Amino acid sequence: MFGQQELGLLVLIIVLALIVNAANDRFLTPTNVANLLQTVTVVGIIAVGMTFVLIAKEIDLSVGSVLALSAVSAGYLYSTGVNPWIAMIAGIVTGGLCGLVVGTIVVFGKVSSFIVTLGMLSVARGLTQLITGGLPQQMPAELKFIGQGRVFEIVPVSVVIFIVLVIIGQFMLTRTVFGLRVTAIGDNDTAARLGGIPVARTRVAVFVLIGLLAGVAGIVYSTQVGVAEAQAAQGYELDVIAAAVIGGASLAGGRGSIVGAFLGACLLGLLRNAFILLNLSSFLQQVSIGAVIILAALFDQARQGNLGSLRSLGSSLRRRFLARR
Amino acid sequence: MNDLHQDGGTALTPAALRVAGVSKSFGAVRALRDVSLEFRAGQVTALLGENGAGKSTLIRVCSGVMQPDLGQVIVDGEPVDWRGPIDGIRSGVVVVNQEPQLVAELTVADNIFLSELSERPGATLAHRKRSVQRARELLARLEMADYLPSPETVCRRLSAAERQMVDIVRALSHDPKVLFLDEPNSSLTHQETERLWAVVDRMRSNGVAVVLVSHRLAEVYEIADHVIVLRDGAFVKDGPASEIDQESAVALMAGEKKSEVISELETHVVGDEVEPALTLRALSGEGFDSVDIAFRPGEVVGMAGLIGAGRSEIAAGVIGLTRVRAGEMRLFGRAVLPRNPRHAQRLGIAYVAEERPTEVFKLQTVAFNLTARVFDRLSRLSFVSRRSTNATARDLAQRFGVKAASVHAPISSLSGGNQQKVLLARALAAKPRVLILDEPTRGVDVGTKAEIYALLKHLARTENLAVWFISSEMEEVLELADRIVVIRHGRVVRDAPNTADPTPVIAAAMGVTESDR
Repeated sequence: MFGQQELGLLVLIIVLALIVNAANDRFLTPTNVANLLQTVTVVGIIAVGMTFVLIAKEIDLSVGSVLALSAVSAGYLYSTGVNPWIAMIAGIVTGGLCGLVVGTIVVFGKVSSFIVTLGMLSVARGLTQLITGGLPQQMPAELKFIGQGRVFEIVPVSVVIFIVLVIIGQFMLTRTVFGLRVTAIGDNDTAARLGGIPVARTRVAVFVLIGLLAGVAGIVYSTQVGVAEAQAAQGYELDVIAAAVIGGASLAGGRGSIVGAFLGACLLGLLRNAFILLNLSSFLQQVSIGAVIILAALFDQARQGNLGSLRSLGSSLRRRFLARR
Repeated sequence: MNDLHQDGGTALTPAALRVAGVSKSFGAVRALRDVSLEFRAGQVTALLGENGAGKSTLIRVCSGVMQPDLGQVIVDGEPVDWRGPIDGIRSGVVVVNQEPQLVAELTVADNIFLSELSERPGATLAHRKRSVQRARELLARLEMADYLPSPETVCRRLSAAERQMVDIVRALSHDPKVLFLDEPNSSLTHQETERLWAVVDRMRSNGVAVVLVSHRLAEVYEIADHVIVLRDGAFVKDGPASEIDQESAVALMAGEKKSEVISELETHVVGDEVEPALTLRALSGEGFDSVDIAFRPGEVVGMAGLIGAGRSEIAAGVIGLTRVRAGEMRLFGRAVLPRNPRHAQRLGIAYVAEERPTEVFKLQTVAFNLTARVFDRLSRLSFVSRRSTNATARDLAQRFGVKAASVHAPISSLSGGNQQKVLLARALAAKPRVLILDEPTRGVDVGTKAEIYALLKHLARTENLAVWFISSEMEEVLELADRIVVIRHGRVVRDAPNTADPTPVIAAAMGVTESDR
């Protein structure tokens, strides 16, 4: 479960946490850690699905919009008198349907998922506006505990949901036929097809999975705030992809880790939180988060031994230098 | 080795490129150990050795792609200090790689002069019309105009053999003094190889030192003057091709391990009375027409023919990769028509494609690669059992003689031959009744080839498996097949037991009518 990338991330998180705590001793208090985790749940839950999508050598840019559409659908149904639990499930299913539409077009229309989900990003956001007319939808009070409740008065319910989904996700990826098929398809599509793996079905299922998870994230997000807004989670797709990539998912497919994505989401949250606690510029925060994403990808390449050219560059420079002397 | 070595018959020619005491290691692997040898101008030197013998590393060191850890490369008597392949090309050392690296969307002419794009400033105009004209002139000068379609053709439309030719023309456009050809004939038919050898012969007369790396010995010996054998990164022996014949070369390459690779012909023809495992009746589809073949359990059927004859297309139709237009297929008497490879596999027809990269899950472990076709079978309620996965993988690795540090090692750490064994084991893990292999040993070393042949024969006999392999290597067809089916222009032109005589097979493949029939 813990490969090099995950261990490296864990060490990095611990070291960063200790540094921040040295500067501000309110950092490593149970309340702050719980709050920090709560801020990463929305991005983290979708990152579980994004990891599957990236491993399958696809991408999903529509998750922020699908999240909003799911939340708004649930809120709207509730406002028309539907049972809150059924409204919630319907909201999550809406996310799954968006994934089904995307997956079907990607697989059978043979359009790249970048384009299809770019389209869905706009379509889902537009539908959200249509449903709400731009007005926030009240979320049912019965569901408030999902976003705001705490287990033993300390651990947020949303964090529990997040961690359970991470565990299920990691198990699905490494121990189920589905997970192995996703890995096979992302690594070598042709070999998977020749090997009798149901490529089309599996690929559609991956998009349905991330859609459902965006739906769950939508419920968590809207119950945290209490209302489902049309503009919710705009731009979240970038954070979600970043979390998955920091966690070791490769955009070239075939490789990734759910535990890694969990840690990636935590690292992003930690950086944000640290910049606030240390009173540092939010512009600097943006810069550092971007740098972390790039460094994570570089680190991964180096670990794969793909940066051999750097080493040979070094040796040729050394040779040149020594020869000159 | 002796610098003043006199070749049988040919006069002594100067060394165009000399390697002195070269060593090169990658981590713990010593790819080259104190190698000293030379390639002479106006000679075709065959560089022989099993996979992993160090041929590729030697070529990379000789061409400037890599720098040796120790020792020197000497061109025209001067030790070189190259920092990249460009330096090698400037000094006249050019390599043609096994897989032609062409830009598929550009024309033949653009591809021939591709390196000029790197030399000129990006803002200057690309003289595409002029390069077509220059390509024509170059082809005319090389007397190769007949070998290629018009230089304006987009490379995407070329056959594998034509792409290879483009790559060679590109290499020749640099007027090389030393030309390395790495497996130039591995995807060529015999006829295409002969044309290639004609080109090589012309280069030889022009004083080029040609170095040939190929696993297809018989073809190599048609052209080579001189032979150099490497084993385990070390120089073993060199001498005129007339002195080191094929059998002794194989023995030198294999070392102690195997001296008798070309074994006695032992075929096992299954009689007509045995019910075929798979029958094709008047099967027609994309690239093949009215094909009738029966594959019987226990029999190894070799499918020969020129490249592009439609052999792979028949296999693609049978496993449902392409649509079958007419005719029927029977599996143990029952009419079937696989809709896709998944369906074919469920019916018990396993297929392994011809290019290794299309079949390998390159980022995964050996165990993953071995069990990729049986994930379902290793699971209960779709949860995969680690224990049974590992047990199955270990069992397969052992049965098929896969040499790996562990089944958890990445597949990329295995040699080509071992990867090929993994692919074979993977296909058989699903316990098929018909096994279709397209070019089962391409780019695999002599020793591993022999192992794979023995394994396939054993499987056919003991497990009553119907084996159908497609091969462009005549030696392989004659060595492995019980029965040989020859395809020409998408049709079966010959179907007869293997008599170890290549003549009728080649004749049928090339459309030569036999007078005694």
